[in-house]
Amino acid sequence: MMHRSKRVMIADDDPGILDCLSIMLEYDGYEVSSTLNGANLLRLGDDLPDLLLLDTWMSGVDGRDVCAYLKGNEPTKKIPIIMISASKDVEASALQAGADAFLEKPFEMDDLLSKVEQYIG
Amino acid sequence: MDLKFPSHGYKDVFYNSIAPMLIVGTDAPHYTMLDVNNAYLFATHTRREDIIGQPVFGVFPANPGDMVSKNIERVIFSFEQAIKTKVTHTMYNYRYDIPIPGSNEFEERYWTTSNTPVLNESSEVLYLIHSPSNVTELYKAQEREQAAIDLTKKQQQQLQSIFMQAPVGIGIFKGPDYIADLINPPLCKLYGKTEAALLGKKIFDVLPDAKGRGFEVLLDNVRLTGIPYRGEELGIPMLRNGKLETVYVNFVYEPFRESDETITGVIVVATEVTELVNAKNKIEEVELRNRIAVNAVGLGTFDLDLLTNEAFTSTQFARIFGFAEALPRNNYLELFHPDDEPIRRQALKDALVTGRLFYECRIIHKDSSMHWVRAEGKVIYDDDGKPLSISGIALDITKEKKSADEQRKLISLVENSVDLMSILKMDGYNSYINEAGRKLLGFKDETEVLHRPVSELHSPEHLLQVQQEVIPSVMNTGRWSGVMIVRHLQTGENFPVYNNCFRIDDPVTGAPISIGAVMRDMRPELAAKAALADSEQMLRNITTASPAALWMSDENGHITYVNQTWVNWTGTLYEANLGSGWLQKIVDEDRIRVADKFMNDVLEKRNYEVEFRITHADGKIHWCLANGQPHYDNDGKFAGYIGSCMDITEQKMLQQQKDDFIGIASHELKTPVTTIKGYAQILEKMLQHHGLAREASMVSRMDSQLKSLTSLIADLLDVTKINSGRLQFNDREFEFNPMVNDLVEDLQRITDKHTFILHMNKTGIVFGDRERIGQVITNLITNAVKYSPGAEHIVITTAIENNEVTLCVEDYGIGIPRDKLDKVFEQFYRVSGDLQYTFPGLGLGLYISSEIIKREGGRIWVNSVEGKGSTFCFALPLVNEN
Repeated sequence: MMHRSKRVMIADDDPGILDCLSIMLEYDGYEVSSTLNGANLLRLGDDLPDLLLLDTWMSGVDGRDVCAYLKGNEPTKKIPIIMISASKDVEASALQAGADAFLEKPFEMDDLLSKVEQYIG
Repeated sequence: MDLKFPSHGYKDVFYNSIAPMLIVGTDAPHYTMLDVNNAYLFATHTRREDIIGQPVFGVFPANPGDMVSKNIERVIFSFEQAIKTKVTHTMYNYRYDIPIPGSNEFEERYWTTSNTPVLNESSEVLYLIHSPSNVTELYKAQEREQAAIDLTKKQQQQLQSIFMQAPVGIGIFKGPDYIADLINPPLCKLYGKTEAALLGKKIFDVLPDAKGRGFEVLLDNVRLTGIPYRGEELGIPMLRNGKLETVYVNFVYEPFRESDETITGVIVVATEVTELVNAKNKIEEVELRNRIAVNAVGLGTFDLDLLTNEAFTSTQFARIFGFAEALPRNNYLELFHPDDEPIRRQALKDALVTGRLFYECRIIHKDSSMHWVRAEGKVIYDDDGKPLSISGIALDITKEKKSADEQRKLISLVENSVDLMSILKMDGYNSYINEAGRKLLGFKDETEVLHRPVSELHSPEHLLQVQQEVIPSVMNTGRWSGVMIVRHLQTGENFPVYNNCFRIDDPVTGAPISIGAVMRDMRPELAAKAALADSEQMLRNITTASPAALWMSDENGHITYVNQTWVNWTGTLYEANLGSGWLQKIVDEDRIRVADKFMNDVLEKRNYEVEFRITHADGKIHWCLANGQPHYDNDGKFAGYIGSCMDITEQKMLQQQKDDFIGIASHELKTPVTTIKGYAQILEKMLQHHGLAREASMVSRMDSQLKSLTSLIADLLDVTKINSGRLQFNDREFEFNPMVNDLVEDLQRITDKHTFILHMNKTGIVFGDRERIGQVITNLITNAVKYSPGAEHIVITTAIENNEVTLCVEDYGIGIPRDKLDKVFEQFYRVSGDLQYTFPGLGLGLYISSEIIKREGGRIWVNSVEGKGSTFCFALPLVNEN
């Protein structure tokens, strides 16, 4: 329980995923915030997370565009982004868009936690 | 003396005149004799009392032996003339035989007689003085003289005639220059000249070809010595009738002597014997030829002595019996076929009666071959008529017999032919119609054929064709063939036959003697044609109405036919699709692929199946599935393809929808599965945290079921990607063996029952999608585990073979039936039978594996023995180190 100060933000249009991942990360000691609307990530204020879990396909916006935008902007470019998708085929384009890591659904929770820890542990 | 002549003196004159006179009355037809003088009585050997008062022809009847003179009629005619004209009528030199007294004989007499009428004052004829002069002697002398003259004339004529018509040539040639003095037609003919060309000419001037050949010397010798010369068969070259030929002559030169015996010329008697000599030469030639022929045709000769029963045979005779040289008779006798031996014996017996020997028998040579022999001979008798010997010939007639056999077969063939065969004589009657023909035309039997004229075999209007077309054509050109209408004798049905007829000529004279005909009943053919036409029409209707496009190609893959359906689809002209025109309607992206596929399949003559898109007339794109099968003509020769083309747009759409659905569904499944997994794993952690190990274990098992579910979803997604061509590969070079090693270790961790035995030989670097290839290996190993429930080991081997990296997974499980081996890589194939339910799954794993390996440029295969186990292998190209 050494990570209390670390904040993970989850962006996914599926409330179940949000709920499940939030419980998991919180149970592991992270401070979690989440959003169902990917577009919200384009208007992040000063309150930036330490790591972003980003779904690829969200209603209204492509996660890879969001990723590229955040990685292209000074305040957000340093935030590690782990992209999540149900499609393995997206991996290449996700990394292309600047994502630091890629996870294919369904994934093992341990894999997720170890990846998160890898960037902000 | 009283010089006055007394009146009775006239009477004396009458009676004593030396001229015979008879006074005949005018009382025709009696012509009664009134008085007669002595000379008459003397001349006619009669007496006065026989005459007076008697009718003249009663006393002098006609000589029954003289039927020509008609003397009585002539005398009556003379009487009548004299009475009528009242002047003397004279008959000259006529015959009137007179009876010889005391006999029934007549004496031949010739007379010249005058009948003189004596008139009264009123100029009426009182009587006739009939005064005959016997001219018999004179007449006979004249006759004899005439006969002598006639005879001389006749003899002369005969001589002339003999000379002129003698079959031998005769000529007289005079003087030292041999001038033709007399020459008869045969000699003219022999010389080849006319009489005019020869007479009065020097013979050697006229016949220059005969000059200088010694004839001059011969002629001179005869003329000077008087000794005749005889020559036989002398050849003289002679220009006759415009051509030079050798004329053979038998001739005699005789001296021609004048009445004073001086020789003034030569008589030539010559007979042409050219034909004789030629014939003789020919006979010699024929004899020679016969001798050669006898040997050539293999005639053997024999001479059987009937007293000793010994036979002298020629070498050829021995050869016929299969011997090299003549042998004693027994050697031949033992060769006779047992069945034919009685025939030979009988023939020999008959010969002694008839004088002629003849038989045909089979003999069996020492080499067991069978031959037919014909023997013919003549019995020779002694002076007492006792048979001495039989001389004759023997001939091998095996071939002849065989050909007779062939002929019999031929006749049987004709008689049994299903076609009508006939021989029509020139008189309009058939001399032969075979059985099929008799049946076809309704003849009751063979005899009826002979009595029914051809005119009864056609109705009158169809007979016209026979008379005006068929027969003239056969007569003029020798043949006719075509359709004619014949009539059945019993039913009267008119029906068509195809007739092939030909003229048969006399082999010697060349004159046509009959017409041979071969006819076929056309009714079945016409019926078949009609049926064919019907079925053709039906087929056309079917092909036009077919919902599938139909096509045909020739052996080079050029389209020769498309049906209306294809034409309608593409909105093209029929012709535009022929050859390779059909490709134009295939969309650009598919065209080359389809053309290459078709051409390759045609080259290999294998079944062709391909999917492609075409542009329809309305511009819409449709999917087609084309199928084609090679087809072969009646001779078994490859003739091209027959195929169909189905519109599968809807299926494609449905399949797309299905793939899309599975894809979306699988994709959408992943999110809830992720969520459930998440909850399960947290729950497990929490339960462990709270020391609830049993509950935690249950949640863990739930999680492993989720792994299976995840795997199924992944497979479904892979298949939809494969089907839609969207399976993506992330190819790069990697070391093969370490990848295998890691995988096997991971899998061993989750497998407790089976032990994996890994034989890793040296492999190398492979270029491909590491994870996808790993997926294949995982699939093969998990299958091995799944299908060998009773086994303990699974052997995994890697190696390099022929520049390929191979991996094999060998299990000792249930194996695969031989007939299913090629099905295991198909989509949705599952182990069937009773065991089916023991091995759950979608049947996609091997399909996906095989697609992956193929897409990576490799091969995948399986060896298996049912009940023993299977070995699945794949091979991938090895990347060269450099």
